[in-house]
Amino acid sequence: MTFKNVTDVQEKLQVVGYITSREIATVVFLASATNKPILVEGPAGVGKTELAKAIARAFDCELIRLQCYEGLDEAKALYEWEYAKQLLYTQMVKDKISDVITGAKTLTEAVDRIADQEDAFFSERFIQPRPLLKAISSKDPVVLLIDEVDKSDPEFEAFLLELLSDYQVSIPEIGTIKAVNIPFVVLTSNNYRDMSDALKRRCIHIYIEYPQRELEMRIVTIKIPGISVRLTEQVVDTVRNIRNIDMKKKPCISETIDWARSLLALNVEEITPDVLLETLNMLCKYRSDAQAVKVKAQELVN
Amino acid sequence: MINPILKFVACCRAAGYRISTAEVIDCVEQLELVDVLDETEFRAALRANFAKSRRDQAHFDRLYHLFFHELRGDLSEQEGLAGKADQVINSLRDQANGDRSHNAIIEFLSGDPLMFLEMMRQIQTQGDTPSLGMKFNLGPLANRLRVMVGLNKVREEIGRYLQDNPFAFNSAMRQELTRYFHEYLQSAFALLLKEPRPYTDEQRGYKTHEKHLMELGERPFASLSAREIEDVRDVLDNLVRKLKDIITRRYAQNREGVLDVKKTLRRSARYNGVPVEILFRKRPPKKGKIVTLCDISSSVWSAARFMLNVLYSLHGCFEKVNSFVFVSGLKEVSEVFDNNEPNHAIEMILKDLEFNYYVPTDYGETFRQFKHDHMDILTKRTTIIIMGDARTNYLHPEDRILGEMRERCRRVIWLNPEPLSSWNSGDSEMYAYKQHCHELRQCRNLNQLIEFIEELML
Repeated sequence: MTFKNVTDVQEKLQVVGYITSREIATVVFLASATNKPILVEGPAGVGKTELAKAIARAFDCELIRLQCYEGLDEAKALYEWEYAKQLLYTQMVKDKISDVITGAKTLTEAVDRIADQEDAFFSERFIQPRPLLKAISSKDPVVLLIDEVDKSDPEFEAFLLELLSDYQVSIPEIGTIKAVNIPFVVLTSNNYRDMSDALKRRCIHIYIEYPQRELEMRIVTIKIPGISVRLTEQVVDTVRNIRNIDMKKKPCISETIDWARSLLALNVEEITPDVLLETLNMLCKYRSDAQAVKVKAQELVN
Repeated sequence: MINPILKFVACCRAAGYRISTAEVIDCVEQLELVDVLDETEFRAALRANFAKSRRDQAHFDRLYHLFFHELRGDLSEQEGLAGKADQVINSLRDQANGDRSHNAIIEFLSGDPLMFLEMMRQIQTQGDTPSLGMKFNLGPLANRLRVMVGLNKVREEIGRYLQDNPFAFNSAMRQELTRYFHEYLQSAFALLLKEPRPYTDEQRGYKTHEKHLMELGERPFASLSAREIEDVRDVLDNLVRKLKDIITRRYAQNREGVLDVKKTLRRSARYNGVPVEILFRKRPPKKGKIVTLCDISSSVWSAARFMLNVLYSLHGCFEKVNSFVFVSGLKEVSEVFDNNEPNHAIEMILKDLEFNYYVPTDYGETFRQFKHDHMDILTKRTTIIIMGDARTNYLHPEDRILGEMRERCRRVIWLNPEPLSSWNSGDSEMYAYKQHCHELRQCRNLNQLIEFIEELML
């Protein structure tokens, strides 16, 4: 599960429909060559999550996704004991237990005998693996996407450290579980808050910007095969102009694509200010933003 | 290969980056894997390892450009020029009089910006070392001026040297050399003048677009009329309601904790000892703690009152809010706020006769008292918000104590109600405090306050 060189990364990702800049490709290549996690930052909608998905497709392996949110804890991210199952099993094997302790002379002896059986209840049978454990113990190589890691609590971040540096997790009752295959880890962050230095140190960092004009045009063309060159140019230029306005949420790549799609559906061949105004809700998600664009519609299109 | 990287790292560190040895090792390892002759790849590898947050990146790019382009530029292209340039630099070295900044400039010309960058950083972060009670804040400015003079002096020296040795160089070479050194000096000037601004991230997006109450929002707090103060309160009330909504929703996902054996067993008695219902321990959500230190000398107070107002309206969202007010000494007012409605509490504090408002503000004494009496309330979950103009009236700033406080808490945020342009002027000690704060913000009108509160809460 490695790439040969930077160009190889670009080619393989392009095959699965993800176009990267040389810089991103370099980072992806380095991460795969050195088994390091990637920390991807950037504004919403520039394809941070999509990068992980594309890598998974390029390797043709499973993508395990862990969506972070405030309050996410080990039980949700790593593993959980299935208490209900454990207790029910205890009930069901009650007779067996009394078999085990019959003949015990003292209480201590009975307890000792039961203690010998303890492993039966704290074994992998009763563990419910959550994404992180799944990624680590999977027999086939996987891509692990830890999405929006900045939304999780600092405690959780600290807990990620062990996983990311040694690719192992400790379960007190069982012991340390080492990764069978080292997963390709991608963490994404929206800069909601700063990640700790310790976490950053373990990762390779990449900041994905809004793409250059040529790159964005290529992305649109590859996502929407039927689109004409002229329309692509116009769409990309207009969106790029809109991004220059001071707005609450700038239109991102996915919005460019959505807009281009809807223009195709409407059989539009030429973007005029009117067309822009009619389809504005594809691009602007806030009323104040839409207002700002409306005022400048004329100059934006040209 | 390793040498230039290490040099570059040393320069980055001199400019104030934290780069760990592990990161350097990683980077060197990775450089072996990429094509170092392809600049994009080379740069991406360095950047991925050394500039690991958005706010560092612009500065990193500048350093990178300085180090790998401006300083190495033509040397490789013209062998002859390099030799001659060295000759000039050596003669400058001979004349050097041991002055630190002079040396730094000469080293800078020879392609080693380390000392120069270190000096820049010192100038940018330095506070004044107080001497004999009286002290001036002109230090950074004066130092900058000295470096500027130094740069000009070196320029003259080079010109003189070139003229004094007419036989060593032909005229074309002389022109080349003049141009060559001119470029270097120019980039040194640029470094000197361009100081990294406090970090603002466009990504967060809140700028002028939300034209909410454009007029009211941009008015400095100090100049609000009584009626406008009421309006501001209304706006803040709305904000508080909005934020509370978001936050309760966040905590409402009642998190399930570990199995509660006691309760489960007790409940199982209902079902003949079979634990049909499993009960979990509910964990109370973890909330942050806030400690505020407010300067209540008149100019700052107008802004501080609104901030306190909002914080206390939101007190349910924090575990605890401890607030202190100070002029020349510290006073805890948490209780007043706990027992009274926020607006009322603010009035009470202002009317409190024990407090002497008419003495010069003393930040140093405030920090000393805080260290002495209240250091224990700071934990790793505490956010300290300091609101003040950092005007110390030329008394000792005690910025070291702020450093100690920083060590003990999660974040230190300094809100300054003065416009950016007047920071560091006069007796303002923003430079001294700056290095200990995680975040510096201007907070002089409603929009800025709203922006701050939203970022704090969300």
